[in-house]
Amino acid sequence: MATRKRSGSGSKRHLKEKVVQIYESFFRGEDLTSDNPTFWDEFFLLKPKIPQLEAEIQKLTPDQLTNMEDNINLLVIQCIEMLGQEHHIRLVYALQTFSALLTTMYQRVAQDPSINIKTILLGTENPNSKMQKLLEHCNSVMSGDVPDSLKSMVLKLLLIIATGIDNIDDNPLVEYLMMHSLFEPLIHLLCTSTERQQHGYDVVLLLMFLVNYKKHEAANPYVVKLSILDDELALNGYGQVITAALNDYVMTTFGGMQNNTGGWLSSLTSMVGGIFLTNDETQPVFRGQRSSGGEEGMLMALYEAAHLNRNFMTTLAHSSATASAPPSPPATLPPHQSPPNLAQIQALIDNEQPTNLLVTFFQYCSIVMADTRTEASINKCNLCFITLTCIVEEQFANSIMHDQNLTFKVQLYRLPMRHRKIVPEEPPSQPLASTLIDLLVEFMMCHLLKKFPGELYEVCVGVLQRVLSYQKRCRVRLSRDWRPLWAALIALLKFLATNETVLLRRHNIFSMAQQVVNIFNLFITFGDTFLPTPASYDQLYYELIRMTQVFDNLFFMALRYSTGDGEFKAEALRLANCLVNVRAITLHFSPKIDAWLASQNLSTPTEDQILEVVRKNYDSLILKLQEGLESYERYSEKSYRALLSKLVKGAAAFARQRSDAAALGHHSAALISHYTTLPVPTIC
Amino acid sequence: MLEDVPIHGSRIDASSKPPTHQRNLSLDFRHVTGGNGPPAGCGHQRNRSLDSVLQRIPEDMTPTSPEGAPLRLPGDAPAPRLALPPEIPAGSDDSGIHTPPDANDEERPTPAAARSRESLDSGNPEDTEKPPDPPDAPVETATAIVSAVDTANNKDFLLRLFESKLFDMSMAISYLFYSKEPGVQTYLANKLFSFAHEDVDFYLPQLATMYIELGEVAEVLRPYLVYRCKQSADFSLRLAWLLTAFGGDVKRSRATKLRDSILAEEIRPAARRGHHRSQSDASALRLATPSGRHLGDLASGRAFDNGCLCGEQCSCGAPRLAPQTQFLTALTNIGRRLASVADKERRNGRLRAELATLDLNLPARVWLPLHKKPHCVLRIPPHAAAVLNSKDKAPYIMYVEVLETEGHEPLPPRLLPPAPPAPHSPPIRHTKSEENLVPEWPALSMYSAMDDVDNSDCWSHDDEELSTQYQPRPPAPDSVSQLSVMSVTSVQSTSSCGSRESMAVGAGEVRRRLAEATAAPPPNAFKHDPADPSAVALKESWESKLARMRLSSPYGYLSGWRLLGCIVKVGDDLRQEMLAAQLLRRLQTVWDLERVPLTLRPYEIICLDKESGLIQPVLNSVSLHQIKKQSGKTLRAWLELEHGPATSEGFLLAQRNFVHSAAAYALTSYLLQLKDRHNGNILLDSAGHIIHIDFGFIFSISPKNLGFESSPFKLTHEFVEVMDGENSDMFAYFKILILRGLIAARKHCDQIIHLVDTMRMGGQLACLRSSSAVSNFRSRFHVGRTEPQLRSLVDRLVSDALHSLSTRLYDNYQYYTNGIL
Repeated sequence: MATRKRSGSGSKRHLKEKVVQIYESFFRGEDLTSDNPTFWDEFFLLKPKIPQLEAEIQKLTPDQLTNMEDNINLLVIQCIEMLGQEHHIRLVYALQTFSALLTTMYQRVAQDPSINIKTILLGTENPNSKMQKLLEHCNSVMSGDVPDSLKSMVLKLLLIIATGIDNIDDNPLVEYLMMHSLFEPLIHLLCTSTERQQHGYDVVLLLMFLVNYKKHEAANPYVVKLSILDDELALNGYGQVITAALNDYVMTTFGGMQNNTGGWLSSLTSMVGGIFLTNDETQPVFRGQRSSGGEEGMLMALYEAAHLNRNFMTTLAHSSATASAPPSPPATLPPHQSPPNLAQIQALIDNEQPTNLLVTFFQYCSIVMADTRTEASINKCNLCFITLTCIVEEQFANSIMHDQNLTFKVQLYRLPMRHRKIVPEEPPSQPLASTLIDLLVEFMMCHLLKKFPGELYEVCVGVLQRVLSYQKRCRVRLSRDWRPLWAALIALLKFLATNETVLLRRHNIFSMAQQVVNIFNLFITFGDTFLPTPASYDQLYYELIRMTQVFDNLFFMALRYSTGDGEFKAEALRLANCLVNVRAITLHFSPKIDAWLASQNLSTPTEDQILEVVRKNYDSLILKLQEGLESYERYSEKSYRALLSKLVKGAAAFARQRSDAAALGHHSAALISHYTTLPVPTIC
Repeated sequence: MLEDVPIHGSRIDASSKPPTHQRNLSLDFRHVTGGNGPPAGCGHQRNRSLDSVLQRIPEDMTPTSPEGAPLRLPGDAPAPRLALPPEIPAGSDDSGIHTPPDANDEERPTPAAARSRESLDSGNPEDTEKPPDPPDAPVETATAIVSAVDTANNKDFLLRLFESKLFDMSMAISYLFYSKEPGVQTYLANKLFSFAHEDVDFYLPQLATMYIELGEVAEVLRPYLVYRCKQSADFSLRLAWLLTAFGGDVKRSRATKLRDSILAEEIRPAARRGHHRSQSDASALRLATPSGRHLGDLASGRAFDNGCLCGEQCSCGAPRLAPQTQFLTALTNIGRRLASVADKERRNGRLRAELATLDLNLPARVWLPLHKKPHCVLRIPPHAAAVLNSKDKAPYIMYVEVLETEGHEPLPPRLLPPAPPAPHSPPIRHTKSEENLVPEWPALSMYSAMDDVDNSDCWSHDDEELSTQYQPRPPAPDSVSQLSVMSVTSVQSTSSCGSRESMAVGAGEVRRRLAEATAAPPPNAFKHDPADPSAVALKESWESKLARMRLSSPYGYLSGWRLLGCIVKVGDDLRQEMLAAQLLRRLQTVWDLERVPLTLRPYEIICLDKESGLIQPVLNSVSLHQIKKQSGKTLRAWLELEHGPATSEGFLLAQRNFVHSAAAYALTSYLLQLKDRHNGNILLDSAGHIIHIDFGFIFSISPKNLGFESSPFKLTHEFVEVMDGENSDMFAYFKILILRGLIAARKHCDQIIHLVDTMRMGGQLACLRSSSAVSNFRSRFHVGRTEPQLRSLVDRLVSDALHSLSTRLYDNYQYYTNGIL
């Protein structure tokens, strides 16, 4: 090494470090190894200079890159070789170098898709065996007894591979991750609490990406294995990582509100047990960072688990109380590093009331659903809804949510709006299904806007229908006030009827209205199976009679479209047919009430008086039983493919941005200091 | 034990010299144990020597132990001695009024024993020279020695008593305690080997206390305790807990040493000697590799796995007790952490979360010491647990699924709970093209559909009540809607929903069904109350809970599956509770023996240390406080609600049970001076029995020593109302029962009092700290009174209790301070 000449470099560069010189000559295509058989051993003892390395690669034109193939190949092979090394410093530097090389190469690909990353990195000869070796080394590091930072670095490396290209399906290197599955070691990392705290976020994120690789085309081992995973520890670990990430987001949002309005304080402290307050003050920066995103990946992971794995439902209601777990290991990282500091989040959760995934998810949904302004937030909201759909289709999850003995006080986020003031109030302690309905009501009431998010409403009503269907089938009676729900549904119908012309351009309002009316039909004809009291049935009639106008308008609108020759003819006809029971009710009771009013000489009756009339006149009213009110098509991913791939892309972009070289540098520095016990300056 | 009979003066006049060979053994022990004082250092060696000696004892005893009187067998003399006992029942058969002389019996042997010590001392040297001889000889040698002394006759009597079949554990304990004579103590300690284990175990608190407090008794007891510890891990832990609970603060006392050596697993079945399996050689090698790394780490999923893989008889040297101690530590830690959570509902959430974490480590080879049969814990469903009402402590009840096992069968693997049975109809799809939809329907008959509904609703209590209502009349309420769905699908209507004429239903009909289904929840059903999470959990009948849990458990299909309840209490001293439970048991035994129809409901208690323990919950019962709070009714009205109108058979039966139990607890309250009798501490079970719990204040102490409750026992007008009022027959019956109970208890008061007397040593129990506690206790048996005097006493007590101001005062005090109704 010492004999290397600085051939060709200008005099200005005489202060360059040795490793930088090597980079330069290396990427000029020089053969450095021929006269120095121990070159690589020495090279990997030099601290890599990531920015310079990246700069060197960026300098190359695509043609040069292709010509450099042999040299880069050699570097890759050596990096992989070093991963099996006993010598820790070489191992760490090799990881760092390799990660930087991959990151930069992926950047190049992003700029110029014509670059064939696979051949440049792996060559044409037996790329499979090289990747296999790499993954074997990764496997042994992840399941071995090595410092946490090393595992982190390996996970970061894998994440770089998985998120290298926006559309994961186009990523040629991920194919090898499918051939040589790392599922078991990854899951193993979730099982132990200490490792979960350190690596949980990365592991779950990585799994999520891998699951999404060509999931619709080929057999993906991760999809298969995740769907049959039944190790409760692992499932719980998976759930807890997601809970922690979502909870952190929830805390941030509620925390922001806390600063704005003092009134929230009391209600919030009741939710988070006051611990959060102190935490807010100590880590303002941390919170700000987290709120910028990163939980989408976790949300996707939640969706995948809820969609794929039936056993996962058992962990939904599994409250995590890891206070008995050993404290996190002596920090190998300086505290200000590692953006998603799960150890700290975990500590936060530990000190608090135990929460469970469903509770946190509902809270998260309430925040996400409040915002439908941008496309990104609509997508996120949509993902929340389809995740909810998956959950409410599961028998087990439903039975948990309807368990009267399993009640929670869940503080949902409510948007302050012009027509209402948010009064801080202690949320009632109720089964989770009731909270879910509150959540749906809140959504339905808040987005009757000009920019009507029709597709979200459709999924929302679908969730509601599934919940009611479960209640009807299982005769579960939620003892709740149903009136807010009816009011919300009626408001939605009213909105549809008044804005028909505008809305019809973008949405099929007839099918949506039919969906809503059918929910009323469910209440009207099958209310006996799931309403809590006879009085609630009376209240239903009261609301219907009170809002006669809305249903009349809807009916006439439907008639209008069904008589014409428009494209919505059939649907409008169906809607009109669905309305038969509501019409029967309003037509039956209105004259009776009028007659009674006349007889009593009253003009403004009280609610009780109307209810009295209603109760007396039930018997002469015949309702039509309609088929399939509770039936629904099971959720299928097909119709959401575009949405999902968009979300995966977003998550990948975020993950890429996060797992930059700097983060790796921290780990590497920590590792080096771990291995050498000598203080190493943390310059990258 | 039931045939226990007061000892008559004539037979106790003198103490006898016990046979010798057992004493020799014990002397051997003393020598050995004295030699290697610290157990940690040379425990190994001592163990072996103990083994060699001890192995002989059980083997020698085994042929005789079933009879409970081993020494009878070998001798040729026993025949005449056995003829003696019939006199004793003759003396004790009378109504018990003549029993007073018995009271002194206990004291008499003491001087006699003292007198005879010289003789024993003289006998000692020659005894020690003898090798531990086969047990066939003891009676001969004993008699030989005894006859050599002039007081031979007297001693013979004591020996004959000891050898008689009437001699039971109760007497053994009292002689062990009162007798200062080493010979007698040694004899009795050896005699323990021949008693049934359950009999001895009943007195384990007494034995432990004596071990702690009485040096010489400890010496003689040790071999027995060590022997039992080696036999059973459960016994080892029980003993260790008792030693912890009752041990003083002395650092390296004998008791703490024994406890430490038990917990350090130095006392364990010897794996080396011939009496064990032949793997002993290998065991030494394997000893190095017990993989108990995860022990205690709840996050590992194997916190209670000691890594032992050997089958029937463990010989790998894996810790035998550690999993169990870890398990119980985990349980008590939960209780400790819960206490720091303020809000009750939140506490409940926290409890469930903690139990869920714990549950991840199950099934494991750990057990609930409350349950006698060998078993291991399969699962603790977190959602079934509930925090009990308590202001600053956080006791909680949990339901534990266990597997009763005889041998060492492998544990079932951890399983996920099964998905609840699917409701009667799978969601119909709009896509009607699927052919498989049609054949599915006929398979679901309407009746089975209804059953499914019942099953699937195992999750919520309220619905269960509803579904049971449906059961008797299957095709009732929902049939129309059922039919409608079925008929409609069979019509195979096309995509247009509702376009066809289908069945119609009257709105009135729908509402009527709803009214029927909801208005009729039984008025005695408890509603879920966030402030009192335990109320619902406790109200549910055990049978329905059992069925429900079995159905929802992944292990429910196993034949050895059992559901056990367990209350974990941390922060309360349960040692008095334990003593009270012992006394209750004793009293119940006495009443059963004397055929007095009084019913107590003692429950199992395990003290883990001075301030935590496990309690067996009283099944199918709720507290009077909860009844009042949930129903707002008086006790009588509640009973009528539960059992039917006042003239119905159900009510009369419940009333009878009520009176039997009320009288029993009234008398017990009086005898034990039970305090803190607020309605939260009095339960009513589903058969009408009242059951008192929480014996934290007995004998001389009361809550904060306020002295509020000065009445002899708690008897409110509400209770009397249940008994049809003060002038009713029932009330008279109540008083008669108390009188008969008192007479019966008095007859056997010695075996009751000595339980307490033994525990007074060491001053560990606050209730016995007062110097007069035991003598006052004795005086409450009113040994000296005639039956008419007793009758008037009972009358006075009852009227005092009924008209006591302080009872009402205390209830009010509890209402205002703790909100207990």
